[in-house]
Amino acid sequence: MNKILVIISREFLTRIRKKSFIITTLLMPVIMVVLILLPVYLSNHTDKSCTIYVLDDNSYFIHKFHNTSKIKFEYPSGELEGLKQRCVNGECDAVLHILSGSQSNRANLFFYKDPPLSLKNGISEQMDEVMFDRALQQEFNVDVQRYKVIKENAHSDIQTLQIDRDGRAQEKMVEMNRFVGIICGVLIYFFVFTYANQVMRSVIEEKSNRIIEVIVSSVKPFQFMMGKIVGVALTGLTQFVAQITLIVLMIFVVGSVAPQVFSDNSTAELLSQNGGGFAGATVATNSDVFTNISTFYSFPFSTLIFCFLFYFIIGYLMYASLFAGVGSATDNETDSQQLVLPISIPLIASLIVIASGISPQHELIRWLSFIPFTSPIAMLYRIPSGVPLWELLLSGGILLLTFLLCVKFAAKIYRVGLLLYGKKVTWRELIRWMKM
Amino acid sequence: MNIIEVENVTKRFGRYKALDDLSLSIAQGRIFGLLGPNGAGKTTLIRLLTCINTPDSGSVRFCGHPLTAADVSNIGYLPEERGLYKKMKVSEQAIYMARLRGMSRRDAIDSLQHWFHKLGIESWWNRRVEDLSKGMQQKVQFIVTVAHHPDFLIFDEPFSGFDPINAEQLKSEIMELKEHGATIILSTHNMASVEEICDDIALVNKGKVIINGAVNEVRRTFRQNRFHITFDGQADISDLPEWMQILSCNNDEQTTTVQLQVTDMHKANDLLQYFIARYPILSFGEMLPSMNDIFIRTIQAQNENH
Repeated sequence: MNKILVIISREFLTRIRKKSFIITTLLMPVIMVVLILLPVYLSNHTDKSCTIYVLDDNSYFIHKFHNTSKIKFEYPSGELEGLKQRCVNGECDAVLHILSGSQSNRANLFFYKDPPLSLKNGISEQMDEVMFDRALQQEFNVDVQRYKVIKENAHSDIQTLQIDRDGRAQEKMVEMNRFVGIICGVLIYFFVFTYANQVMRSVIEEKSNRIIEVIVSSVKPFQFMMGKIVGVALTGLTQFVAQITLIVLMIFVVGSVAPQVFSDNSTAELLSQNGGGFAGATVATNSDVFTNISTFYSFPFSTLIFCFLFYFIIGYLMYASLFAGVGSATDNETDSQQLVLPISIPLIASLIVIASGISPQHELIRWLSFIPFTSPIAMLYRIPSGVPLWELLLSGGILLLTFLLCVKFAAKIYRVGLLLYGKKVTWRELIRWMKM
Repeated sequence: MNIIEVENVTKRFGRYKALDDLSLSIAQGRIFGLLGPNGAGKTTLIRLLTCINTPDSGSVRFCGHPLTAADVSNIGYLPEERGLYKKMKVSEQAIYMARLRGMSRRDAIDSLQHWFHKLGIESWWNRRVEDLSKGMQQKVQFIVTVAHHPDFLIFDEPFSGFDPINAEQLKSEIMELKEHGATIILSTHNMASVEEICDDIALVNKGKVIINGAVNEVRRTFRQNRFHITFDGQADISDLPEWMQILSCNNDEQTTTVQLQVTDMHKANDLLQYFIARYPILSFGEMLPSMNDIFIRTIQAQNENH
């Protein structure tokens, strides 16, 4: 036992002291925060207010436009050529020339310097509205003000409620369920792949370093394998926690030091409060998901967190031991790829399936949530929408059992493979080793 | 007392029989040369002794009890294929390996510092392994092997990669370990060093022990009735009786040295009697075969028979 601790601490300490570890741990959150904040910032700030000179041949649109934070309309008198010249001189950003007669729905927008992308749409929307109002009044004799009030009041509000067998209904948000499920799946996927791969690379490195023979003469290969897998997992968790903390911290700091970054944007405010890092990024774009806070709190949090930890840890251990077995069977990473592919297909496939937005109640997902190699992702996708306890226990039991079998077989392959050099191993041979 | 007793051990890898009903014992406090051609089964045997593999049948006893994984803390093993973590500091690496063999951190540091000092490499303590040359890494590996004060040591090709000076230093360290009571297995193809430092040898071929015994006895067993004799001055030795045959003859200004093959019927005394009456003898001796000759003769003879 003591030896396993020595192994874990070496695996952990040498990894977190690596320059590459420190750099990725620090750099990733910076990139994430920039990716989160940049769009928010850009949408609020780079589109500076534009001044548009309006020239309407029919004089119909004059003074009908209303100024927004981004577009300011002015109606100077003068000829088109003169206005264009003033645009070139920098007095305005663009000249809107609305054509005469029956073509009054058409206009030319002259600019000298590239205008913001949103400008054309902004103007077009206002023109549409003006034309629509005119049609309402002239052709249908409708009072525009009254129309607006009616339109404002005609607003539906649909609550989504899930009923159970006893007929009790609980408020559930379908988008929210999918979203949480996908986030959990993606997290597991990335963690398993990143760190199981690290385990494999490290096994290959020890083999090609020829250090492994001294080590297995001191400790049992199984102890060494488990020590390595746990050590790498601790490294991964440390990195993960550090990155999330950094992201949250940075968002707080940016929010308090430079609140103007967010300005009055409610999305960003929400983001800084809930600051769930990666989750927050996507939430910000779907802010309506969070609008109903009560739904958020009626969410099966304890089940989800418990199951997440379970599937996360067991799933990682299972894949990491398989990857370690594969690593021990090869001398170099190129050879390892063809052996890794078959065991990674289930994981990739399940991620693709849930990313397609399939219903969590779909039969396919239900089956995938029982198959041990796909269940860590598939089951977590189901959990937010509710899973019967027996199914949860069955899936968990199957996974646990498979995990134990995998560790046993991987340890066998590991024992045989470690001291075998220069041979390209096939799956058939691996299976023979398992029986040895 | 025997520190290692291997009895009727067989080990297969698939259809290949690496060890075939092999028995062997190693006496305490001796340096035991494990010899044999490539693929003879030496490494497999060593891996059984270090608990890396287990025999399919037969038993391995260590200090009188069946060998278990707990005994590895009393075994030091320097494999032929050896390496170190390149990115680690020399000291960290050595401490790690010593702790894997069951030492506490404190004891490991004490012992390692003693050894670094002994081999004059204290200045490497904080260097990274990748900055050391191959020979330097070999020294660190040697220290890692002996740091936990094992009673039983296995060195597989310990001299490979060493320059003559360092090889000599290593040899004297190995002799010193023996003087302190350690039992040592030396697996090597360097027959000169076997003659120099080994007490006993076993020659293994195709998974079986074919010669086993003390080095001197083995060499005597393979004696071929060959002698060398040196005369004072220029000796004319053309007209010899037919029971002796000249293998080589060297003349220099003052002396003549002859190597002779004598038929089995005649002894050293007959030879002396013949020459003592004719030439002034300066020296005389039997030529025992070198381990190298014994190795080649035995293995070739065995391979021809199959």
